[in-house]
Amino acid sequence: MLKEIHTAPITSTWIWYGIGSRNELPGKTGLSHWVEHMQFKGTRKYTGDDIDNLVSRVGGYSNAFTSPDWTTYFETMPSAHLHATLELEADRMVNSLFDPLDVETERTVIISEREGSENYPEFRLDEAIQQRSFQAHPYRNEVLGSKEDLISISRDDLFQHYRNYYQPANAILCVAGDISPQALLEDIKVLFGGIPSAPLVRNIPSPETALNPGDQIELEGPGEAHYLEIAWRCPAGSDPDFFAYSIIESLLSGPSSLNMFGSGGISNRTSRLYQALVEEDYAASVFGDLSANIDPGVYKVFATIQPEGDPWAALKIIDDQIRKITSSELSLSEIERAIKQASALFAYGSDNITNQGFWMGYASSFADYQWVAEYLTRLGSVTPSQVLKVAQKYLQADQRVVGVYRAIKTQEGS
Amino acid sequence: MNSSMPDSSTILRETWSNGTTLLAYPNPTSPAVYFTGYIQPGAIEDADELHGLASFTTDMLMTGTKRLNFQHLHEKIESIGASLSLGTGHLSTTFSGQCLREDLETVWNLLVEVIQQPAFAEKQFKRVRNQILTGIAIQNQDTGAVASQAFNRALYGSHPYSHPEIGYAQSVSGLRLEQLESFHAAHYGPNGLVLAVCGGIAPVMAREIFSRTIGSWQTNTQSPPRTLPPFTPPESSIRSHVALQEKNQSDLVIGVPAPKTLSRDYEVCSIGNSILGKYGMMGRIGKAVREKAGLAYEVSSHLGAGIGPTAWKIVAGVNPDNLEKAISLLKQEILRFYTEPVTQQELQDVKTQALGRLPLSIETNAGIASILVSIERYGYGLDHLRQLPAIIESVTAEEILAAAQRYWNVDKLVITSAGKALE
Repeated sequence: MLKEIHTAPITSTWIWYGIGSRNELPGKTGLSHWVEHMQFKGTRKYTGDDIDNLVSRVGGYSNAFTSPDWTTYFETMPSAHLHATLELEADRMVNSLFDPLDVETERTVIISEREGSENYPEFRLDEAIQQRSFQAHPYRNEVLGSKEDLISISRDDLFQHYRNYYQPANAILCVAGDISPQALLEDIKVLFGGIPSAPLVRNIPSPETALNPGDQIELEGPGEAHYLEIAWRCPAGSDPDFFAYSIIESLLSGPSSLNMFGSGGISNRTSRLYQALVEEDYAASVFGDLSANIDPGVYKVFATIQPEGDPWAALKIIDDQIRKITSSELSLSEIERAIKQASALFAYGSDNITNQGFWMGYASSFADYQWVAEYLTRLGSVTPSQVLKVAQKYLQADQRVVGVYRAIKTQEGS
Repeated sequence: MNSSMPDSSTILRETWSNGTTLLAYPNPTSPAVYFTGYIQPGAIEDADELHGLASFTTDMLMTGTKRLNFQHLHEKIESIGASLSLGTGHLSTTFSGQCLREDLETVWNLLVEVIQQPAFAEKQFKRVRNQILTGIAIQNQDTGAVASQAFNRALYGSHPYSHPEIGYAQSVSGLRLEQLESFHAAHYGPNGLVLAVCGGIAPVMAREIFSRTIGSWQTNTQSPPRTLPPFTPPESSIRSHVALQEKNQSDLVIGVPAPKTLSRDYEVCSIGNSILGKYGMMGRIGKAVREKAGLAYEVSSHLGAGIGPTAWKIVAGVNPDNLEKAISLLKQEILRFYTEPVTQQELQDVKTQALGRLPLSIETNAGIASILVSIERYGYGLDHLRQLPAIIESVTAEEILAAAQRYWNVDKLVITSAGKALE
């Protein structure tokens, strides 16, 4: 996928692989993320230092991300160096070494990454909520993998995973920026056209829709602030219901941004949950998270509760708001407001070439590029009755998972 | 975005008689506008035992004005998809926001209104105080924040920078609404306000809007800012650890005082710092601690910039059992950094990176506006971006070694950590 933008002498190259924690099997969680780390360790042609230097020496920046649905790598560079990044991506699609010594070093690095996250009560609560939100679907697993699996996964497991899923038939290449599409297409054909693809065999999990009625989690640990998290099922990103759900999210907990790179967001202080929880002193803050995924996922609301506050009282307030949104239609002006906010967020992200590259691949991972191109139009066609119908379908009180992290004050010191 | 570098021929810079300054640069292809800047006062104005007063006052600004209550104020901002936020640093209060270009005058009018005429409602005062206290409680459980605060206490000693801008639970709990109102009346005003804007608006148009809004703000109650007291660095090594329960990772900070931001040493040390802990996968220390030893996911070095004293520090998150090993490895790299010159290859790599990064740093409205603010704050001059390549090219390995020796000494390090209790 190519998008020509000549506002700056910059290109952003993204390669997306259709592999993530969604496709991982029990006992092997974290494989996709670990493979992502190994892709920076070197091939026969490039050492790890070469990969670093290729991007850094010319002032570019690069990174990689693993999600439940995909693994992606990007390089944003001065456009004169585009060919070099494509050469690298073509090479490491098939020639990464997975040196056993690098595998062992990276094992402890990733365990350290996980331990850093575990320091936060919010992470522990969210991991528990995620596990309870899915019975068998791998969306229940943390992308980083479980510590047990990170200890037991072998070099062969990693290399096989790489061999299976890093191939043209499972990849989408996206380039945005200062390009000449015809010449670039030729270059891509030369670099990638000869790489063979094998039949793709991967675990395709069955989507889950229902949640266990009244499911609750209670955790506790040192600290002073408490946390409340609630998860409701949400539709897949490609589901027509997703757009009405986005309006609900905007209204309840504030709009989410589709921008990947620091283009700022919009505060949520006029959202219904902020007004009901924070303005009435039931919580210190509240925000929501709705992501577009291949399979139905979860819409989550997180509230931070003051030391003297009560998470269960905050839950009752949230329930009241859910009852309201599932019992009466929104006004047209509320929908128009959500669309204006979404338009502004798109405008904020559009000056960033890296975002432009990201949007192409991201939308293609669960739908197609039209999803992004038509996003605002489709939001605009949502009607109040559709919003009500979607709210009633997904936000039932017995179709949610509730988690509370209760802080216990302790004496600590140096 | 225009691919040419912003300079004195394309940046509009103008000051007004009320002491405000505007910097504007156009990005005609953008439908949006981003602005950022700063205003007096900062947390150094906080008197003893009133730590957190400046920050608390700033937090109150966005809770409503004499004309608009909380709901109405935020409805005006959020309904047009705009954003507006303020935060307190040691020396100033910073602000930033963005909106679609047609809404700029609306948003700047609101910026002036929240700064000039905050309501200071009692109900909001109690709410914001609880939010701040909750924030402090969360920070007190965050190993990174706790290690960083311990570092500031150790490095800055009796200097005001040793205190967090947000204050302490005890000091914030004791603050009264009248104190916030008095602080606001004494310290807020247009004098010293700097605003930089970039986006789909012509600079002359931005100037007109600025004139009608911020440029016409008058007050005669604004006190001059407090003079920053001198900073005396610690004379010997300091090591401290704060124990926190149920933490699987410990956070570590190792550092020393940094060179003054507007100095040749700073230019030299910026290049040196890239070699030490930024370039590629976090420079030399990333290679030693993450790539070779596998001890940390995050390890990097940072050279602070500011008008007052700043720190040059290394931060890392490691397994508690590996804390001493990581400190030892980092000390080895620090020693190497000031006893051996960097290689010509290392120097060339970071120079080409810095030069290549320039066009990327001006890719977005926010990137340009942030650079314009730095240009004004540090007095770099409007041709700074044009001069940067020559400055970068001029740095030598010998200069980096000499500068590193002036700042780093393994026998005078401030080392702080937070996490599982030390055995």
